Amino acid sequence: MLTTEKLTKNFKTRNAVSDVSLSIPQGQMVGVIGRSGAGKSTLLRMVNRLAEPTGGSITFEGRDVTALRGRALLEWRATCAMVFQQFNLVGRLDVLTNVLTGRLYHHGFVASMLQLFTASERAFAIRALDRLGMAHTALQQADTLSGGQMQRVAIARALVQEPRILLADEPIASLDPLNAKVVMDALRTINREDGITVVCNLHTLDTARSYCDRIIGLKDGVLVFDGTPEMLTQEMAREIYGAEADDAFAEGLTSTSLGGVPAKQRLTERDLAKNAQLGLAAS
Amino acid sequence: MAAMTYSGDDTVAEFERHRAELLRSKRAMTALFVVLFLAALAASIYVSRFYPDRLASGLPRIFEYFGTIMPNLELDKLLLSRGDDGRAIPGSIAYWYSDFWTYIQLIVETIFMALTATIIGAAAAFLLCFPAARNLAPNSVIFLLSRRFMEICRGVPEILYALVLVFAIGIGPLAGVVAIAIHTAGALGKLFAEVNENASLRPVEGIRGVGGNWFEEMRYGVVPQVMPNFVSYTLLRFEINVRASSIVGFVGAGGIGTELNRVISLYSDDRVVAVLLLIVLTVTLIDLLSERLRTHFIGKEHFA
Repeated sequence: MLTTEKLTKNFKTRNAVSDVSLSIPQGQMVGVIGRSGAGKSTLLRMVNRLAEPTGGSITFEGRDVTALRGRALLEWRATCAMVFQQFNLVGRLDVLTNVLTGRLYHHGFVASMLQLFTASERAFAIRALDRLGMAHTALQQADTLSGGQMQRVAIARALVQEPRILLADEPIASLDPLNAKVVMDALRTINREDGITVVCNLHTLDTARSYCDRIIGLKDGVLVFDGTPEMLTQEMAREIYGAEADDAFAEGLTSTSLGGVPAKQRLTERDLAKNAQLGLAAS
Repeated sequence: MAAMTYSGDDTVAEFERHRAELLRSKRAMTALFVVLFLAALAASIYVSRFYPDRLASGLPRIFEYFGTIMPNLELDKLLLSRGDDGRAIPGSIAYWYSDFWTYIQLIVETIFMALTATIIGAAAAFLLCFPAARNLAPNSVIFLLSRRFMEICRGVPEILYALVLVFAIGIGPLAGVVAIAIHTAGALGKLFAEVNENASLRPVEGIRGVGGNWFEEMRYGVVPQVMPNFVSYTLLRFEINVRASSIVGFVGAGGIGTELNRVISLYSDDRVVAVLLLIVLTVTLIDLLSERLRTHFIGKEHFA
């Protein structure tokens, strides 16, 4: 259970996030929606402490995350993986090493400075890559990959962290529709098969509706909606998106709006194989 | 398009007014800089008395000097080897370069001094450059300390460090190596830090996101990005250090400079030319070699 209590982040002139109180049970897939600048990213970044809250608290399984310092903070970040909009891979390292950096928390100083990883860690990383259909790229330099491939490598990196929570900050905003679908399918698979809580910022409504168990709407940093996709009415969505509503609703126009099949359906072996194929086709 | 008129358009009028204002202030700044530059130029000409007539009267004397230090070479004896008594014949190259193997030994010593100093200095610069990069420093105290430390290292010329170190640890190459290494650490550290400041922070954030500590952020997020530049700068520094290590010998800190100092103080003018020629040749060779290596590294960067 991940809980936030009156979580707040003030920048000098404005409130990015104001008094957000949430509680997310383990294993849920949550979509956070809202217009650009609504505080979605700030909220996610505060959860794994890449941004410091200015008020309120975050607790995970009874432990106060906001008070963590030093090594305990690093442990929390390892527990709470992050997937970024711009992937944040190390372009000049190969794909495998990028994935292996997910193990860094568990490494001593000398081993990590010398890039020493064990055979079992390599095997773990290759399996994670294989789940995302990316094992064939393991020895390529990361900056030779396409955007969709990079994002799948970034998800593989998150997986080898063996996280309890996976935060995804606009994971598909920089991708074309095909790759966006592959990435969202991968996130849902991880959520369903591994029981990892996934909290995902999404710009478009349809994607959130098709993939998430629960939708959270932010407007100007304030929580304005929290419920199932069915509960999200057209009026409510207009309220959340304000002037950007037409953009967010225009299916097929924005690159990241996905029709998708309804959620709550575990992926079959066939789906995974198909994803792997899509990956090959994209490379 | 011709039918459209913008005369009454508020947005355009506003933009044009703003643009004219920007241009005016830019022009004023340019004029100010031109005036300042000319003033500085005039002042420096006055202070250094850089006048054409002095230059014209001085130039012939430069050739005069070269005339006096030219070796005494006679065409018919040029390639003669040493005589039966083991003495070289005056007028031959063998006579002019009779200490050839001493020079070579000293030049090799000079190159090794430069190599050692570059390796030690670059290693120190590598350690210093991460805390000395504004965007990577863990906090401002460490940032300022490492910046100031590097400034002290590079603010003093190598020859002064060498002078002090010859007193402290004695005459010989060690003093020279340490002196050049100190200067290298400061100068390269600043260049490295500037490379770091241009590095993308996305990979750094990625590593922070997986629970990596500061050292791991640097090792995985920054080092792979900046390494080709570091190598290139280090090779450039090696060229500079070869020149520097042939100078520090003047104060007794080893290398070919010691010999150069000796022949100058003995007024063996032809020997001065002999040594200088070897130094120029060495520096040129090292420059060519390291240029090849550098383009190789930068080339790899481009085609990766």
